[in-house]
Amino acid sequence: MSHPLSFMLCLAGFTALAFAMDRQQHDLIGRSLPASVTRALRIAGACALLLALGVLVAWQGWGLGLVMFSGHTSLTAGIVHVTLIGSARVYARASKH
Amino acid sequence: MKTVQEPRPAGQGIRQSMSDLHTWVGLLLGWVLYAMFLTGTVAYFKDELSQWMRPELAHQTELPDQAVVAQRIADELGTVAPGSPQWSMRLPDGRNNSVYAFWRTATGTPGQRGFGEANFDPATGQKVTARDTLGGDFFYRFHFQFHYMPVIWGRWIAGVAAMFMLVAIVSGVITHKKIFVDFFTFRWGKGQRSWLDAHNAVSVFGLPFHFMITYTGLVTLMALYMPWGEQAAFKTPAERQQLNAELSAFIQPGKPSGQAAPLASVEAMVRQAQERWGRDNVGRVTATHPGDAAARVAVARGEAGRVSMSPQYLEFEGTTGRLLAVHEGVGAAAETRGVLYALHLGRFSDSVTRWLYFLVSLAGTAMVGTGLVMWIVKRRQKLPDPERPHVGFHIVERLNIVTIAGLSVAMTGFLWANRLLPQDLVARANWEIHVFFIVWLLTLAHAVLRPAKKAWVEQLWAATALLALLPILNAVTTQRPLWHSLVEGDWVFAGTDLMCWVLAGLHAALAIRTARHRPKLRSTRKPSREPVTTSATLRKGEA
Repeated sequence: MSHPLSFMLCLAGFTALAFAMDRQQHDLIGRSLPASVTRALRIAGACALLLALGVLVAWQGWGLGLVMFSGHTSLTAGIVHVTLIGSARVYARASKH
Repeated sequence: MKTVQEPRPAGQGIRQSMSDLHTWVGLLLGWVLYAMFLTGTVAYFKDELSQWMRPELAHQTELPDQAVVAQRIADELGTVAPGSPQWSMRLPDGRNNSVYAFWRTATGTPGQRGFGEANFDPATGQKVTARDTLGGDFFYRFHFQFHYMPVIWGRWIAGVAAMFMLVAIVSGVITHKKIFVDFFTFRWGKGQRSWLDAHNAVSVFGLPFHFMITYTGLVTLMALYMPWGEQAAFKTPAERQQLNAELSAFIQPGKPSGQAAPLASVEAMVRQAQERWGRDNVGRVTATHPGDAAARVAVARGEAGRVSMSPQYLEFEGTTGRLLAVHEGVGAAAETRGVLYALHLGRFSDSVTRWLYFLVSLAGTAMVGTGLVMWIVKRRQKLPDPERPHVGFHIVERLNIVTIAGLSVAMTGFLWANRLLPQDLVARANWEIHVFFIVWLLTLAHAVLRPAKKAWVEQLWAATALLALLPILNAVTTQRPLWHSLVEGDWVFAGTDLMCWVLAGLHAALAIRTARHRPKLRSTRKPSREPVTTSATLRKGEA
């Protein structure tokens, strides 16, 4: 269960971090979020990533845990990015019509 | 344009020089690196691919008892390689359904050491009757020593390329500078800008992996690249032997006594190892001078779940089966190497982690690929006459096609050859490899003869077709079609077949995008040129 759990945590973490970025806020919501919300998102995202690391290290120790964590973070960051590109495309197409 | 934003001229200088370094270091051996990355990526599944390429070997539904298998193969090796001073076998595990063994041949001209090797059926102990193939090991070996050249040359080329990669990674990070600000940035449909964003994305997301894999790749062959420390520190044969013991579980054969004595029960020795490391976690059994009174047997731990390639093994007296020594730790320096080595190979992985390795490594392949393409995209805009590009541009463009699209065609061609070459062909395994290179050469000829864009699209479609049809070829030429594998729960075969379709989809998507692509030629930035001429050239290019 540790693999799916840390995968989901990383996915949530990067999603939060993406929403904490100014450019993405403009692309997705059309305006900047208040600084307090941005900060909260950033903290939540970082915590989710750390929690994922904790889950993997508790399960497999530091050696294997770090390797798995690196894999999960790379993959989930890619997935979040592709999703952002996809939603921006859909949004752009919808706003054209 | 970038230079305007930069406030300090000093910073601008280093960033620009790093950018130039990145561009040229990346380009010069970029094609070699792309091939190393892609074949290395596939090699994470080399054992599964080897199983797929030997369809005669039945799907392993449950793991046989390694102790029983070890005894069976040891007996068989006594017949196959009598009087051998050393043999070694890799026992079957979750990823291998055969026993791979090699041995030194007993007799031969003095000073010459001969080797024999074979795969054995764990159930019968007989040599497997499967088709002659190198299997996934071809991609694995090609990845760091290439082919048709002495192994040492290949490894040196791989080392130089890896060093270039390392320089490219470090200079790339310095050049990029806005890693965190641009983390999720992608600007669609902006030509060069989009390529740069894509290149940054695949590079940055996998950065820990890319850096690790390049550095550890150099570490795996460090004794070849930098032998001097070792030469200075270890002078006597005894010291060298001690060094070897720190690095691998292969015990070196000493002097035979000349007195014949049968080998004690190998099964009992493996049982002791199983008690220590678990039933399915014995990796390798090596015997020196079996059948002699001075025989030794080493039973090594498997690679699963352990982020270190440092040897762990039990050493037994061959004739009595008495445990002589337990080797479970090495010195700090050797362990550092062991960990870095293991990180590169990733053999400790469970299947999820192996997939992570595969996917991030594929991103690394895309990093090199997008970098190569970007060199072209960037320069195409500045060409004075896109119809007649300069020689350098022409060469890079063609090599990109052959390396990126052509390699996919050639690698799939290798798998086709595995299914199509006659079983009784002499040197069949070599012919599979020859087919790989013949196909790759054909893609080179094709790329040279066709217009660049057509060559891209046609080769990508060729790769798509070969990949998409491979599961069908498998269904026709073997007893193990996809529907059968799915019903049986044979995930090695089903996974390979399904992965072919996924990759076919990827190549089709690339082919369609390339076919639709209209390169934006520079028309605004060169006012001397008549706009009419430019659009006329464009139209001609599209025709």
